[in-house]
Order: sequence, then structure tokens, then C-alpha cells
Amino acid sequence: MKPLPKVNIDDRIFTLKYYVDEEYVHLKIKNPKICKSCLEKPCLSFCPAGVYRLDRQGEITVGYQACVECGSCRVACPYLNIEWDYPRGGYGVAYKFG
Amino acid sequence: MSNSFRYDVVVVGGGPAGLSAAMTCARHGLSVILLERGRFAGAKNLFGGVVYTESVLSLAPDLFSEKRLPFERPVTEEGWWLLSEDGVVKITHTEKGLYEKPPRAYTAFRARFDPWLAQKAEEAGVLVIPKVKVLDLICANGKVSGVLVDRPRDWESSELAEVRAPVTIISEGVNRLLTQKAGLIPRDFTPEEVALSVKEVIQLPKGEVEKRFGLSEDEGLAVELLGEATLGFPGSGFLYTNTTSVSLGVGLFLSDFAEKGLKPYELLENLKKHPVMARLLSGGETLEYGAHLIPEWGLEGLPRLCGEGVMVVGDAAGLVNPLFREGTNLAIYSGIMAGKAAVFAHEKGDFGHETLKLYEEAFRESYIYRDLKYFRRLKKFLRENRSLFADYPEIINRVLHLYLSAQGRAKEEVFQEIFGLFRKRRGLTGLLRDFVKTFRFFKGW
Repeated sequence: MKPLPKVNIDDRIFTLKYYVDEEYVHLKIKNPKICKSCLEKPCLSFCPAGVYRLDRQGEITVGYQACVECGSCRVACPYLNIEWDYPRGGYGVAYKFG
Repeated sequence: MSNSFRYDVVVVGGGPAGLSAAMTCARHGLSVILLERGRFAGAKNLFGGVVYTESVLSLAPDLFSEKRLPFERPVTEEGWWLLSEDGVVKITHTEKGLYEKPPRAYTAFRARFDPWLAQKAEEAGVLVIPKVKVLDLICANGKVSGVLVDRPRDWESSELAEVRAPVTIISEGVNRLLTQKAGLIPRDFTPEEVALSVKEVIQLPKGEVEKRFGLSEDEGLAVELLGEATLGFPGSGFLYTNTTSVSLGVGLFLSDFAEKGLKPYELLENLKKHPVMARLLSGGETLEYGAHLIPEWGLEGLPRLCGEGVMVVGDAAGLVNPLFREGTNLAIYSGIMAGKAAVFAHEKGDFGHETLKLYEEAFRESYIYRDLKYFRRLKKFLRENRSLFADYPEIINRVLHLYLSAQGRAKEEVFQEIFGLFRKRRGLTGLLRDFVKTFRFFKGW
């Protein structure tokens, strides 16, 4: 398969309007050990908002603030290791066009 | 007052399905509350971009007396663009009928269309409450009697509020969490059963939408993009023209993104960089990016549509037809049907499954159900016939290239090369098999 052009997802996220809920983290990793042992880490690619990234220690971080609440990680994490919820009412992404 | 709010009907989710259901109930004199977790109805919603007029008229017959329609452009030309790596074969259709009033379809934005529909619902008497998330259903003895929300019931208390109603209509969208809690589906969906679609709204310089797509001010183009748009994976891209922008997107089965390690936004970037698309989009500015899941579980994932005191409508039930970009209209139709069942239940004073199944019966009579049955093999067909996406768009581009650039050559050789192309890419038996399989699929066998 041919390599795709690289995109900095932050440039896309920048176009979105969010009302970030600082008091409620609506996405959590249930068991970090499972992520460590996960070889493919597909969340790093399929998440359309780049919520899941690797930190310098190679551990998965969850930037829930950028979430567009699509639900992909809820079902596509191979170990169903995401505790998934919507942000509280009124918070999260708010599309201007949609 | 007790510790809960009481209505005749509570609707969860302010998309087209929920708003249609709520509106139908309110117009028949029921007290209806609609709970929406976004800041306004439509805030969380995203779609490709085509609304079918007939469905909107069935809710708002006076649509065309509006000062400002909640749409972008009427669709006057539509079809498919088959993309090769650097070329395109355009199969689009237009006719006089597409210019007649009212237009059959419009391009639109959900964050504008849904609030407009919500306003219609409010005019009908629906109490639309945004910024409220429904946490759970209130169930007793297998009977749903309302919902629990993430707001305190009054200023002095921290106890969560309950909204009670003999009928609860779930229009929660593709992530059907409450539908599952209501026991209407046995399991969650899998990544094979949904498509993940990403889209960018790209603003073009003034007058350029008309110029680049050969449109006048009240004409619009809506095309699906096949082939290179999805790198040959089952799925499609789309390009819809808005008033001063275009909606460009691409979607694949979520499982394909996960298994192939593809980034959706990079797949979209690849499409934007396609030589043909790049020229059409040059100087464009991305106004908004977004992503959404499309329920494609079809007939086999269809929930029971009603239970005791509860019904499910729209995306939560999986009412989309990806081949015909139907979804918003099916949401509206299902909402109206469920709304009528709720009205009937209130007339009868009985809210059990036996009464609400009026909705399920109407649904089974409708073309929505017939189509779900007819296309029940869609996912399997798409997966097993990848060459429709991977080979044919490329072949058709090559064939046209050879035919159209045949000057100065013996045409016998040109045709030999063309036939050789088919033989090489698919083989004679392959061609025959593809034809038979496609024929069988569209015959619904």
C-alpha cells in the first residue's frame, strides 16, 4: 500500500469548536497494562481526532479534550480497554457546520 | 411536586429522528420533552450532506414559505466519479426534472438543518432542552418509565433529576447505549458493522464553486468518489457543493481503518492531494473537520424497535442505506411512525409492547424495511468484491485513456490492449463472476 501524506491532526482539530469539561474525563483506559502489551495499538491510527498518542515513555495518553465523540475507540480497541462515555451535557465538541 | 418531571413522551436526542417523533406527538396534543446533550440540537451531528426534500416536507409542509431555507444548494447534478491514481472518469446525470420546483434534494449542514427542525418542533409545542445528558433509563419490571439525567432536580439538591413519561423514544444516534440498556439489542456493534467517515468543509474563493463545478447560483453537484478515494478499499468518498464551500469526505469500514493502520484524516488528505481534486480545491480553506460513525449493521443488527414503554428510531436502529445515501430521511420517517404509535398509545391508555408495536408494524410495511431486507447482503457483497473498488475504477480510466488517445495507432492494437487490460486485471472468468455476483446482489438474491 502506498504511503499516505502525513497530516498533523492538530491542524484539523484547530478548526473545531469545543467546550472542554475540565472536571470530567469522559475517556479512560481501563487497564494501562493491557495497552503496554498491545502490539498493534490501532487506536493510534483509527481515532479520527488523534486522541490516543504515545508519550516519550511509549505509553498511550488520552487527550479526551480533542474527542469528537464518534465512538470508534469504544468498539475498535482490540481489548475493549476504553471506558467510554459522552462528556457531560453541554460539553465536548460543538459543530458549526456538521 | 415529587422528585421527578412528568410528560406524556420523553425523547432522547435532538437529531432528525427524535425531532420528528417529538413533533408528531406534540402536534397531536401530547406534552413532549426532548433532551439533547449538545449545546443545541445538531451540535453533535455530522453527515455527508444531502437531504431529501420529500422527507422534510412530510414534517414541514410549508417549507417553501420560509424566508431562508435550511439548506445550501439544490442538487441538480449527481453521480459517481471513478478515480484512478491520477485521473477521473465522471458519470454524472442531470435532467430537466432536477430543475423543477421543488428540488428533489438539497445539500445541507447538520448544525444548521437540525436547529431549524428543532425550532419547528418548538413551534409545535415540544419542550426542547439542550445541554442535558441522559444517563440511564428508569426501568421497573421490564417496563421503561422515563430517564435519569445528569442535572440535579432542583437548586438545593444534588440528587439527579428523573424525567418520567409512559413513552420513551430513543433517538440517541449510532452509539446505541440506551437501546442496549432497554434490552432491545442483544449485543453491541462490531467495527465490521459501522463505517467511519471523516469530512472537511472547504471554503473556496468567492464565485469559485460556480466556476469550478460549472454551476449557477441555484445549482448543485453531489457525487460519490470511488476507487483511489478509498485506496481501493470498500467504501467511498463524496463531494457535495454548498453555497460557497464544498463538503469533501471519505469513509471505510471502521475495521479496515483499525486493521490496516490507516489514519482517516490522512486518507482524506490523500484524496485532497489527488491531481484532479487538488485543482478543484486549490486556494480552499478548511472551515471545519469532523468525523462520524455510520451504522451499517443492516437487517441482522436491527434492534427490536419497541419494548414496554420504549421505542427506538433513526441511527440507533441503523436506518441508513449507504448505497443511496439515505439516512436523514429514514430517520425522519421512523420518527414520524414512532410518534404516531405514541399518540395511539395515549389514546388507548396502554403503553405496552402490544400497543407500541403499531410502530414496528408500520415500519415493516415501509420501504425502509423492504430495503434493509433487499440489501441484507451488502456488507458481505462489498467485502467479497473488493475488485469493484480496487480494479474497475482503474481499468475504466485506462480504457478511456487508450480509446481517447488512439490517434496514430492501428485501432486493432488499441482494442487488443483494452481487452488485454481486462484479461490481466480480472481474467475472463473473473469478469463473468463479477458480473454475475453484482447482478445477483442487485436482484436481491
